Amino acid sequence: MRMILRRIALYALTAWVAVTVNFVLPRLMPGNPVQTLIGKLTGQVTPNEIRAIRLSFGMGFHEGLLAQYGTYLNQLAHGNLGVSITLGAPVSSILRASVPWTVGLIGVSTVVSFLIGTFSGAILGWTRGSRFDSLIPTATFFQAIPYFFLGTVMLLIFGSNLHWFPVLGAYSANVTPGWNWAFIASVIRYGELPVISIVLSSVAGWMLGMRNMMITMIGEDFVLMAVAKGLARRRVIWHAARSAVLPSIANLSLAIGLVVSGALLVELVFNYPGVGDLLLQAVLNEDYPLIQGIFLVITLTVLAANLIADLVYLALDPRTRSEAAV
Amino acid sequence: MKTLQLPRSPKVLLGLGIVGFFIILTVVGPWLAPDNPSSTAYAALLGPSTHHWLGTTSLGQDIFSQLLVGARATMVVALVAGLVATLLSMVIGISAGYLGGVSDDGLSLLSNVFLAIPGLPLLIVIDSYLPVTSRSNEFVIGLIISLTGWAWGARVLRAQTMSLRNRDFVEAARIIGESRSRIMFTEIAPNLLPVLASSLLFTVLYSIGAYVTLAYIGLTSTATWNWGTMLYWAQANNAPLSNEWYWFVPPGICIALVGTGLALLNFGIDEFINPRLRAGGLSARQRRSLGLPRRPRLGLTPVLAPRPRTARRNVVSS
Amino acid sequence: MSASRIDVGNRLDRRGASPSREATPSARDFVLEVSDFSVHYGVDANMVRAVHDVTLNVRRATVLGVAGESGSGKSTLVYALTRLLRPPGVISGGRAILNVSSDDDPARVTPVNLTTASERELRRVRWSHVSIVLQSALSALNPVRRIGREFDEVLRTHRRAMSRRERRRRAEELLALVGLEPDRLNRFPHELSGGQRQRVMIALALALDPELVVMDEPTTALDVVTQREIITELAELRARFGFAMIFITHDLSLLVELADEIVVMYAGTIVERASAGELYAAPRHPYTLGLLESFPPLHGERRELTGIAGSPPDLAVESVGCSFAPRCPFTMDRCRAETPPLAPIGETGRSVACWLHATPSPVPVPAALSRRWTAPVGPTAPGVTSR
Repeated sequence: MRMILRRIALYALTAWVAVTVNFVLPRLMPGNPVQTLIGKLTGQVTPNEIRAIRLSFGMGFHEGLLAQYGTYLNQLAHGNLGVSITLGAPVSSILRASVPWTVGLIGVSTVVSFLIGTFSGAILGWTRGSRFDSLIPTATFFQAIPYFFLGTVMLLIFGSNLHWFPVLGAYSANVTPGWNWAFIASVIRYGELPVISIVLSSVAGWMLGMRNMMITMIGEDFVLMAVAKGLARRRVIWHAARSAVLPSIANLSLAIGLVVSGALLVELVFNYPGVGDLLLQAVLNEDYPLIQGIFLVITLTVLAANLIADLVYLALDPRTRSEAAV
Repeated sequence: MKTLQLPRSPKVLLGLGIVGFFIILTVVGPWLAPDNPSSTAYAALLGPSTHHWLGTTSLGQDIFSQLLVGARATMVVALVAGLVATLLSMVIGISAGYLGGVSDDGLSLLSNVFLAIPGLPLLIVIDSYLPVTSRSNEFVIGLIISLTGWAWGARVLRAQTMSLRNRDFVEAARIIGESRSRIMFTEIAPNLLPVLASSLLFTVLYSIGAYVTLAYIGLTSTATWNWGTMLYWAQANNAPLSNEWYWFVPPGICIALVGTGLALLNFGIDEFINPRLRAGGLSARQRRSLGLPRRPRLGLTPVLAPRPRTARRNVVSS
Repeated sequence: MSASRIDVGNRLDRRGASPSREATPSARDFVLEVSDFSVHYGVDANMVRAVHDVTLNVRRATVLGVAGESGSGKSTLVYALTRLLRPPGVISGGRAILNVSSDDDPARVTPVNLTTASERELRRVRWSHVSIVLQSALSALNPVRRIGREFDEVLRTHRRAMSRRERRRRAEELLALVGLEPDRLNRFPHELSGGQRQRVMIALALALDPELVVMDEPTTALDVVTQREIITELAELRARFGFAMIFITHDLSLLVELADEIVVMYAGTIVERASAGELYAAPRHPYTLGLLESFPPLHGERRELTGIAGSPPDLAVESVGCSFAPRCPFTMDRCRAETPPLAPIGETGRSVACWLHATPSPVPVPAALSRRWTAPVGPTAPGVTSR
């Protein structure tokens, strides 16, 4: 319990840091990019929208920095992330449409990749010295390929040339979005190639990590005891794997951030209507409210995912329940 | 003091070879390039040929030259970012681990916060606010990348430092009256060399990925050549969808190769740090020559085939 | 004695057992027969000869103590015997036969050759006939499992007929044997004290009523009081259930309390073998003398602790002569030239590997190595009388 409270405190602090980075950054940069932006916008958008943008940066009508910070936090608390410059709509409503796609895609890929990687890593660790070892350099190579590059190659080979998978977008233009089977089937079909790309890029990390932990665990006394007890080989492997998976789960918190970073770009490659594609547009158009909104939402989502990973870890490792260690 | 002696396994040698090759390319690449990578003197979209080993872009630039010239910027940024991040993680990690108490709490919290924030989105936000002149400066980009990449190393180093803190040699230095910073950086740090090396490899690996990604989405100057900008231009001109593989595949493969080399080297360091990861005692060849099974089995200690004995010694009958 | 054995789940699945030959008469007396047993670490140039030509027998229902410094090969020997030694350990010669008695008829004994047994055969004898207690119970118990599951797992694997409730009852019964409350079954290893964990390990080792229990320094990590309690409990349990024990330790005075017979190992070979009382009161090998002088006895007269100068030899280097010669206070020329064999001396059946005791004696045997000893008269085993 104490561990979870400490983690929640940490994540709350992290969220606050992310929020504050958004506030401080525009003010730190030479030439105040936001002022420049607003200057450029005058005449292009309605005065009301400009006011919303100023408010979302805390640049209301007070001049003190602290008062500005207060305005900024207040706006944030009310869900006002400003208005997107290029799309002309409130950032919060734009994100509401795209975040589910990202969470779905990255969530599914991460779970699939973690399961496959952990399982194969356990086997690789147990059978060390066998022919399976030759998988390691290949896995390392895949781990080193940037996600977006692998995605591009997959798109090119299996999408554009072999036509095994539909490409570009999240569902076919012929179906109506909603809770109907045709739509869901189309979403799954269109999701296959992006998921495969993300899994291919991220699976090696889980696999190699699990392999190392498995080898370390096999060196532990309790695994030798499992053999001495005359247990079936399956049970012995289970003893080792059950303990070896714990550090993998503990590392999930770190890895989720990396996977999300990589996967955002896969969306971009596949024109997936998630946050990644949006982020590129925002960067290209210097749409600061949108960039900041995306950063904030991604950070909060990752923190939530971290908390889930921590809860799973807590449920699996009895030692953390009595120790105060984070 | 531990010296870092990597096991001479094929994996490590291959890694050394790859990394060495690209480091040489960093130095000599731009001199080797046959053309100015920005010159648009040739016909557009030529396929690979003896004149243009990797063909030309839609603007008629020589892709092979871009690849060679781009190696330098890519590697320099990665090395700068990796070194700075490792230095940061060393100072923060060792201080937290050695000083303990409030300093430890504060520094650990700092690194935990940086670990929890997803790095790339943070990078993008910072970078998007940078003036264009700074974006094209490799050192500025490298520094910013290092800001988002030091936390993991700091955490590992902190844990390692705590395990060294009460060793005899540290105690001895304390009794002699050496200053705290001297103990931390001349007594403890050298003993963390393998961990530092591993942390450096990881941050370099991370930095390459981060830099290439920033360039790919157009957040570095598109006028300086690196492997990421090559991919950016290829993507912008729809090269992947038009099957112009020679444009976007080579930079991607180079990135992956450097990454593979670094990761393979890290296998060696891992085995150095964690002896259990080393293949135990008998090589596959020795096992075969002794008629033993190919791989060791837990709970089935191998038995050598009995050899004829001449005399029995050391026997007790009871 | 078999009447007092706990009698739950005694049916053992014997399908596929290897009754290759009917046991010889001696097989009934010995639970383990080891001959010319050698163990190497690695091969070729880097080879370390950890155990060299060891021959020993463990009589049924007795305690064999194995003593020696760390690096003497005592742990290597028993791990290799049970085929649990990790790579790069290799058994390079010799035989180890476990005489497994059938549960229906204790008189019927089946020999299992551990050095040739397949993984399946080993699995069948493991734990139900040979069990192990390691030095650190904390690392020997799976950290993420409750204690109860360890018992449940062993019983479920080897006693298929038992129901879940029977297994639970048996586990509680076993814990009661070592003086632990049944509620410990719901605890995790890290929630118990060191002494409780080691008691759990002992109870677990007895779960299937094995004939041989191997104890690898089970009390070394504990404080002296707990150590004492556990030794007493072990002696009682042994008397009650009649299992044989191999007890490994570097603490010779502890062995004298518990063991019937003791072998002293040095540099991978047995240098002395005798009954516990004999060895304690009248050591014959200079190394045994040194070991006895490096530990205070648990009780009895005080002695000056001197220890042994020098350190054990590097086993990677093949040496000529007696391996103890460089540290021995009584070294003669012959010791540096020839390796002494383990040879019987006197009439009590004890043996020693030392040229001092060769016949005809080359020099007068030093007084410390020629004390006289007579077995106490009485029905109990020597190890038990001394308390």
